[in-house]
Amino acid sequence: MSNESQIVSPSTNPYSSEHASVRAELSEIDASIRTASVFFVVSAIGWLMIGTVFALMAAFKAHEPDFLGAYEFLTFGRVRSAHLNAMALGWGNNIIFAVGLWIMARLCRSPINHKGLLLIAGIFWNVGLTIGIFGILRGDITSVEWLEIPKYATPMLAVSYALISVWGVMAFRFRKGDHVYVSQWYILAALFWFPWLYIVAQAMIIWFPARGVVQSLTNWWFAHNVLGLWLTPMALATIYYLIPKVLGRPIYSYYLSVLGFWALAIFYNWAGVHHLIGGPIPVWLISAGVVASVMMVIPVIVVGLNHHMTVVGLHREVWRSPTLRFIVFGAISYTLVSLLGSAMALRSVNEVTHFTHFTVGHAHHGVYAFFTMVMFGGVYYMMPRLLKREWPSAGLIKIHFWGCAIGITIMVVALQTGGWIQGLQMNNAEIPFLETVQNTIPWLKARSVSGLFLTVGHIAFAVNVFWMLFAAGAVRAKKEPTLLTKEGGVA
Amino acid sequence: MDVYDYKELLPIILLGIAFFVVTIIVLYWSAKKGHLRNFDAQAKTIFTEEEPEGEVSDTFPESRKFSSSRKDRK
Repeated sequence: MSNESQIVSPSTNPYSSEHASVRAELSEIDASIRTASVFFVVSAIGWLMIGTVFALMAAFKAHEPDFLGAYEFLTFGRVRSAHLNAMALGWGNNIIFAVGLWIMARLCRSPINHKGLLLIAGIFWNVGLTIGIFGILRGDITSVEWLEIPKYATPMLAVSYALISVWGVMAFRFRKGDHVYVSQWYILAALFWFPWLYIVAQAMIIWFPARGVVQSLTNWWFAHNVLGLWLTPMALATIYYLIPKVLGRPIYSYYLSVLGFWALAIFYNWAGVHHLIGGPIPVWLISAGVVASVMMVIPVIVVGLNHHMTVVGLHREVWRSPTLRFIVFGAISYTLVSLLGSAMALRSVNEVTHFTHFTVGHAHHGVYAFFTMVMFGGVYYMMPRLLKREWPSAGLIKIHFWGCAIGITIMVVALQTGGWIQGLQMNNAEIPFLETVQNTIPWLKARSVSGLFLTVGHIAFAVNVFWMLFAAGAVRAKKEPTLLTKEGGVA
Repeated sequence: MDVYDYKELLPIILLGIAFFVVTIIVLYWSAKKGHLRNFDAQAKTIFTEEEPEGEVSDTFPESRKFSSSRKDRK
C-alpha cells in the first residue's frame, strides 16, 4: 500500500472509518474536554477584563500623566507591564489552552483523559500569573520587556505550562490514524516552541544572565518569537480548522497550507533580531534577521492567498457566521500586519519607526486584530458545541464584533500614523524633542477612544458567555451539538 | 563588546542552529511518513458524519426564535 493511500485509507483514517471503535465521535471528544475548556475560557475572559482596565489606565496616563499619579502601584511602568502580561499570558495563553487543545483533541480523534489534572494545572497557571501580576504592581518587576514577571512566580508558570501542554502532546501521540492535518502541525510545533523560548529567555536573562547586549539579543529573540511562534501558529491553526469547517468547503490548497507552515518554522526564528537595528551587535546578525523577516513574505502571501481562495464566492456565509466574521477579520489582519512587519524590518523604514508609537500600533495589530479576533471566533464556534446550548444574544455578538473591529482599527491607524510622524520629527534635528512629544498627544487620545470601543466589545462578549454559562434556563438546551444554523436548530 | 569575540553569542547561535536542525529533522520525518503527498485528500479529512463537507455549520442565532423560546418558558 502506498503512503498516499495509507493516509486516506478508511481503515486507518478515523475520520471516515466504519468502525465505531476507531472513530471517536466529536461530541464524545467535546464532552471529554468540556470542563477544562470552559475553565480556560472563563479564566481568559477574566484576564481580558483585567488587562483591559490596565490598558485604559496606561492609555489615559500617556496623555494625562497625573491620572492616578498619586498611587505608587499604578504608575505607568507598572500598569503597562501588568496590562501586557495579563493580556499575553492571561488572556492569550488561557484562550490557547481552551481553543488549541480542543482543536487538537478533535483532529486527533482522541478524548482527553485525566481531566482533573489538566484542571489543576490550569488553576496553578492562573495562580502563578496572579502572583506575577501582583509582583509587578508591588514593584518587583524585572526590567526586561515581555519577561517582567518577578523571579518567584515564573517556576510555577513553567511547571503548570508543562503539565498543560502534555495533554496536547499526548493527544497527538495517541491520535487515531496516521494523518496529520495542518492545524495539528501548527499546534504541536507551538507547544514545543513556547517552552523552548521561555526557558532559554528565563535562563539567559533572569536566572544566569548573559553579559551585556546578549541579553538584549535574547530578549528580542524571545519577545518577537512569542508572537510568531506561539500566538501566530495557534491562531493559524484555528483559522485552518474553522474556515473550512464552517463553510463546509476544504481549504483551497492544502499544499500551500503545508508550505506556509514549514516556511514559518524555518524562517521566523531569526526575525526578532531586527528590533536591534542600530544596536551594538554584529551587523551580520541583524542582517540575518532582516533577511528572515523579508523571507516571511512567502508564508504570509501563501496563507493569505489560501484563506482568500477558500472563502471566494461564500462571502455571505462568512458574514452570517459569528465565528467567521471574527476569523476572517483576523486572517486579513494577519496578512496586513505581517507584510507591514517585513517592511518595518528594512533598515530604511526602521530608521523612522524605531522608538515610536508605530511599533506599539504594530504589536496591537498582530496580537489583537489578528490573534485575539481569531480566538474570539474560535470561542463562538466551540462554546455551543461544548455546552450544547445556543448563544443567548445575537445582538451582543454584533456589539462585540463592531466594538472590537472599530476600536482596533482606530488604534492601529492612530498609533501608526502618529508614530510615523513622530519618527520623521525625531529624525529632524531642527524640531525640539518636547515639540515632537506634544505632537503625539492627539494620536494618544485617539488610542484612549479606541480603548473605550474595545471595552464595550469585551463587556458584550463577557456578558454573552456568562449568560450562556449560568443562565441555563434562558438558553434553549440541545441534545446534540449545537450548530448555529439559520433556524437556530441543529443541522 | 569586541566585534571579533563571538564567545558571548555562542549560546544563542548554537540554540538557533539547534532550532533549525530540529525543524529540518521533523520536515524529513513528515516527508518520509507521506504527509507531503496527496494533498487534496488530506484537506477533506476534517469533515465528519457529524460535520460533513458541503454544509455551512455556523450562523447567527436567530433572535426571533430566541425571543419566542423565552415567551414559551413564561
